[in-house]
Amino acid sequence: MKRRYGRTVEIALFILPFAAFWILFRLGPVLYGFFISLYRWDPLGDAKFIGARNYLNLARDPRFWNALVNTLEFAAIAIPLIVGIGLVLALFIFAGRKRRVTTWLEAGFFFPYLLTVSVVGLIWRWLLDPDFGVVLITLRDMGISPPVFLNEPRWAIPAIALATAWWLAGYRMLLFRAALEDIPDEFYEAARIDGASGPRIFFSIVVPLLRPAILFALVLTTISGFIVFGQVLIMTAGGPGRASEVLAMYLYRFGFEYLEMGQAAAVGMVLFLIILGLTMVSFRWLGYESSL
Amino acid sequence: MGWREELEHSTPVSRRTFLKTTAAAAAVAAVGSARIPSVMAQERVTTLDYYTLFHSGDAAAMERIVRLFNTENRAVKLNLLQGQWAEYYAQLFAAVGSGNAPHVGICHSSRVMDVYRALTPLEESRAGNLLDAAGIRAPQYTKSVWDAGVFEGKRYLVPLDTHMFGMWYNKDLFRRAGLDPDKPPESREDFERAADAIKTRTGQFAFHPAEDALPRKLRRAWEYLFWGGGGSLLTPDGKRAAFNDERGLRALDYLVGMIHRRGWNAPGTDGFKQFAAGQLGMLIAGNWYFPTAKAAGVNFGFHYVPKFFEKPTTWGDSHNLVIPRQRPERASDDVLVAAAKAIKWINERSSIWGIYGGHIPAFLPAQRAKDLQESETWQIALSKFAYMANQGWLHYPLVHPLAPRVHAAVEPHIQEAYNGRLTPKDALTRAEAEVNRVLIG
Repeated sequence: MKRRYGRTVEIALFILPFAAFWILFRLGPVLYGFFISLYRWDPLGDAKFIGARNYLNLARDPRFWNALVNTLEFAAIAIPLIVGIGLVLALFIFAGRKRRVTTWLEAGFFFPYLLTVSVVGLIWRWLLDPDFGVVLITLRDMGISPPVFLNEPRWAIPAIALATAWWLAGYRMLLFRAALEDIPDEFYEAARIDGASGPRIFFSIVVPLLRPAILFALVLTTISGFIVFGQVLIMTAGGPGRASEVLAMYLYRFGFEYLEMGQAAAVGMVLFLIILGLTMVSFRWLGYESSL
Repeated sequence: MGWREELEHSTPVSRRTFLKTTAAAAAVAAVGSARIPSVMAQERVTTLDYYTLFHSGDAAAMERIVRLFNTENRAVKLNLLQGQWAEYYAQLFAAVGSGNAPHVGICHSSRVMDVYRALTPLEESRAGNLLDAAGIRAPQYTKSVWDAGVFEGKRYLVPLDTHMFGMWYNKDLFRRAGLDPDKPPESREDFERAADAIKTRTGQFAFHPAEDALPRKLRRAWEYLFWGGGGSLLTPDGKRAAFNDERGLRALDYLVGMIHRRGWNAPGTDGFKQFAAGQLGMLIAGNWYFPTAKAAGVNFGFHYVPKFFEKPTTWGDSHNLVIPRQRPERASDDVLVAAAKAIKWINERSSIWGIYGGHIPAFLPAQRAKDLQESETWQIALSKFAYMANQGWLHYPLVHPLAPRVHAAVEPHIQEAYNGRLTPKDALTRAEAEVNRVLIG
């Protein structure tokens, strides 16, 4: 009994430092955010309790629904793109891992991940500039009449999603590459002896054994997809019109431009619940055995 | 002798020797430290945090002023932090709310109505009348800007400058188009003739109405056209939108027509970049564009915004120096006075702000200073900006507690019309509905 008690204390002590910081810097702000969302919050101190009115305002605001739809559109394009490109790159690198050039390629694919979001946003804004951008000029030279991607409602979000995939896919590639290294060679050999084709090996051996890495990449990318902000701010500022105004941008504008912190906190809570729900679905769908 | 040998041959320090040496060192330190407070008191430096929203050329100009301040003042130093324009006011509120307000800050004249709560009333502070204490006198400032610094009978702002839109034009393109580069257009008819000539004879973009065409810049472009026709964004009581009328429509239709009917430019383009690349004939942009235009090496001239409608009008605003609200434990009365004196000092050197930042100093002696008057900035651009201001052509943005939200409600619809995806009428109708929703709350 005494030993068991001592063991519990020992475990608690191990958890304590992390738990303390997690509560202080993660759980605390989330709860405080919820608290603020119930107020007409004034940073100077004259806050007034208004119950759920900030949430009702959101429900009534067409701009909020537009931002939600834009966020879902971005997530629907960006998440599969980032995870898919990461997986393809990892398979490509894994297949050629014995060649020296793949090391350079791997470093090259990973490199964009080292950039900050502002640099990524600026690079792509310049690339897609209608007057001086390499992409549009090249397309015009090829006889194609391209849209001004960042100034077309149909193209703004896909263009931002593409830039985001360029930025983030490299890290997913590393995750998948590490997971691929963990699959024993014997599995492939046995499958080949049994006459399994390449696609069969991929779907029956590689994908199931990559499940933990896929879950981790998916959760990570879902979070990135739903809180997308910096790229949007720099590349389109939410435009044209409000065609690329996503939820995080809506939150930012209410909080930091209109100084309506309570309303912004309510958006934050909605965003939090969406991401929490999707993460739980991912866990349920792919199982809990992740690389988290 | 290597370090190993040195170690082997050195005399070991005994415990007693070590203790004696330590005690002696402590005694010396104690005697010496008795003199330190007085020395420190003599050299005590008050550091004032100074936050701004300046960037690019403006930021560099303000850095120059602050460097000079820190060189010339021994007892007071400025710690300059320059931030992003869009987040500045939120940061200011957060800093004041958390008790870490900067000692000196910046506030636009048009924002006094929603920012005043975060500012110290300068004539009624807990340290008394800070204007008197620092020797800041109203007659030394441009009257209209000085008058705009009061809200509900209390003064919060000390003017730093006036800034506004003007017209930058490419002299080489003017020549190629058969136009006289020394006679830029002033009337709407001359302007249209010049734009058509640039378009047809040079094949370059003729005109850009709004800097880099960000939504807020497009709204300003529509505003200077709208105000030129005598329009007003809101009703006099500030409770309803008032722009969806014949004047608002005429202004927006003209703006949209420049792109879609006249073909003087294309939607989504950046006028700053086009002009700097020598591919744009005329650009409406603020005085802050001067350093960029200069650095780009374009043979440019500067002139007034043409008179598009009934009266010549340009969009403009003013930067003011402020003392954000301070908690006594962060800023004593002496510190408040030091901040007010720093404000006065910055204004006294604001000819630098004109020369390098391209703004018109609001402090009249600085505006008339020889170094500014003889500078290229003044001779090319600032003299004309000053003329527009003195003629009363400058129109301030909406001053209203909900101004940022009203602007945000208008901007996307103006941009959609500019891009050709909404008719001007639909754009104004949607903007009006959204503004009224914002105002109802």
